[in-house]
Amino acid sequence: MSGNLQVLLLDDEPIVGRRLKPALAKIGCEVDVFEDPELALAKMAQKEYDVVVTDIRMDQIDGMQVLEFVRERWPRSKVIMITGYAMMSLAREAMEKGAFDFIAKPFKPDDLRRVIAKAAHALGSDIDFDVVEVEKANG
Amino acid sequence: MVESPIQGNGQPPPEMAPQVTEEAEVQGRLGLARDAEQARRALLNRPRFSVRLQIFLGNALAFLIAIAIAIALVASFQRMESKIRFLEIVNDYVMEVEQARRFEKNFFLYGTNLSDAQDNVFKAENILSRNAEELADIMGTGWREQMLPNLHRYQQLLEKLGQQPQSEQALSKNERLRVQSQVRAQGQQMVSAALGLLSKEKTALTEVLTRSRQLLFYSVGLLLLCMGLNAYLLGSRMLSSIGRFGQYANRIASGDFTPLTPTRRYRDEFTELALAINSMIEELEKREAVLVQSHKMRAVGTLTAGVAHELNNPMNNITLTAHMLQEDYADLDDEERLEMIGDVVGEASRAKKIISNLLDFARESGSQLEPLDLPELLRETIALASNQIKLSGIKIDFQTSGNLPRVHGDSQQLRQVFLNLILNAIDASSKGGHIHVLVLPADEPNYLAVKVMDSGSGIPAHILPSIFDPFFTTKGKGKGTGLGLSVSQGIVAKHSGRIMVSSQEGQGATFTVVLPVTTIPAELGAQQ
Repeated sequence: MSGNLQVLLLDDEPIVGRRLKPALAKIGCEVDVFEDPELALAKMAQKEYDVVVTDIRMDQIDGMQVLEFVRERWPRSKVIMITGYAMMSLAREAMEKGAFDFIAKPFKPDDLRRVIAKAAHALGSDIDFDVVEVEKANG
Repeated sequence: MVESPIQGNGQPPPEMAPQVTEEAEVQGRLGLARDAEQARRALLNRPRFSVRLQIFLGNALAFLIAIAIAIALVASFQRMESKIRFLEIVNDYVMEVEQARRFEKNFFLYGTNLSDAQDNVFKAENILSRNAEELADIMGTGWREQMLPNLHRYQQLLEKLGQQPQSEQALSKNERLRVQSQVRAQGQQMVSAALGLLSKEKTALTEVLTRSRQLLFYSVGLLLLCMGLNAYLLGSRMLSSIGRFGQYANRIASGDFTPLTPTRRYRDEFTELALAINSMIEELEKREAVLVQSHKMRAVGTLTAGVAHELNNPMNNITLTAHMLQEDYADLDDEERLEMIGDVVGEASRAKKIISNLLDFARESGSQLEPLDLPELLRETIALASNQIKLSGIKIDFQTSGNLPRVHGDSQQLRQVFLNLILNAIDASSKGGHIHVLVLPADEPNYLAVKVMDSGSGIPAHILPSIFDPFFTTKGKGKGTGLGLSVSQGIVAKHSGRIMVSSQEGQGATFTVVLPVTTIPAELGAQQ
């Protein structure tokens, strides 16, 4: 299916990628998982993703830098930030810098699916997830 | 009694752990109380020589000297009085004798009555016998032999002369002339003897006067000297005690809470002050312990933010894995299910580890001194702060020179000191900053130095001297109590160490903690 949503998932916790890749695949996303921000940036320099999901706090390069890079390189891409519990101020800053939305750890797979569906809707390529239907009905 | 089989697995029941710490704490407190009790006994177990007693003795001595002076003066006045009285007697006697001689002369020249002269001689004798006691005092009992025979002889000669005109046995002219010259010679001798006595006694009187004047001068001098010496001894005793207590106050202010012990061989009013200060020290020490503990809880509070954030990762992993396991359970094969359950188990124990470090540190514990591996202690401390370090986006590196001797100390309290320095360094550093922690031998032998260096903006020179003061803080309201460095300094001082800071504006700050290495041979055995 060529209309699959292209998603890049960046988190330095390996388990996050391992669980979310199949979880997002089930709602029709094609997911590239990265643990190393350098490699993710190198990849994104070449490829435009519809949605980029990145953890804010990582060791070498943090999520804010990734956000800035994506906003500059691919303005159409939607960036979703994953934040820790105690970092609401950082999340707000990310929103000001043009992030599409943020999601706080710990979250359920459906929480992320919902946000991604919202992003897909915003991009005009709705995916197969309940929330979108509900929101459409409400909207 | 049969032990319960549930506990019979060879492992102590879990309740044991806190009991052990409580015991250590009780022992620590007992040790403290024992020190204070020993000091109290040593202070009291000395002969008492109070300031009051010294003042009393000094005054009593001065009083005794004054009384002695008074007695000596009264005695010498009495001697002078009796000498003057003697002079008066001798003077009267001389006057009578001279009067007698005047009549005797008139008798020779004009042939007047001789009975007047005899009258005077009688009066002179009367004077002598009336004042026999006073004369005996001055001239001894032999005064009669010295004075009376002359007088009697003169009297007899006068009588001989006086009989002459009327009596039958008239003296021949030659005889008369001989008696006449004898009378004159006798009179002369009497007068000159009396005058000699007079002048001798006058000299003696002058001598007594001079001596009593000298006695007065010397004894007043002695009195002044004695009072001066007493004042000096009393003053130097008070001043040296006050000086010593000033030093004690400074020592206590710098956080050294060892009780005062005797420095002199006797006890006095200052001993009571020392006892009061010792009980104050005990109270201060208790409060210091509370302060240290409450400051530790503040550090725990700071660390909690990092821990809460760090906990999000395993929590998130567990949440995601559990949800996916639930969602896809039917579609997964056994191997995949086991892998996911294994992830949950692994992440759960990771979460436990994140909290347990902090809980270990937060647990209240008594002061327990033991030989410590300082580099290991710092590694643990850095691990404790690692969440905070990660959260702040700061790099920390740790270096140690190998094979360092151990230090003798309380691991909990020293960890608190180093944690405080590291947390301060984190606060001072901006994102991307570096903190260096070094353990190395100090410049002076038998000491180890721990250096915590940050790359922050440094401490301005004008506030550098006050940063160890209690309640001094540069952090915003509600962010710092200003007690961290003060409490740290107290802990380090208790370990006979020092904490120093050097900083240049714009070039970060370096805090150095210097601690003595353990020198107790018994500890070597414990290491093996």
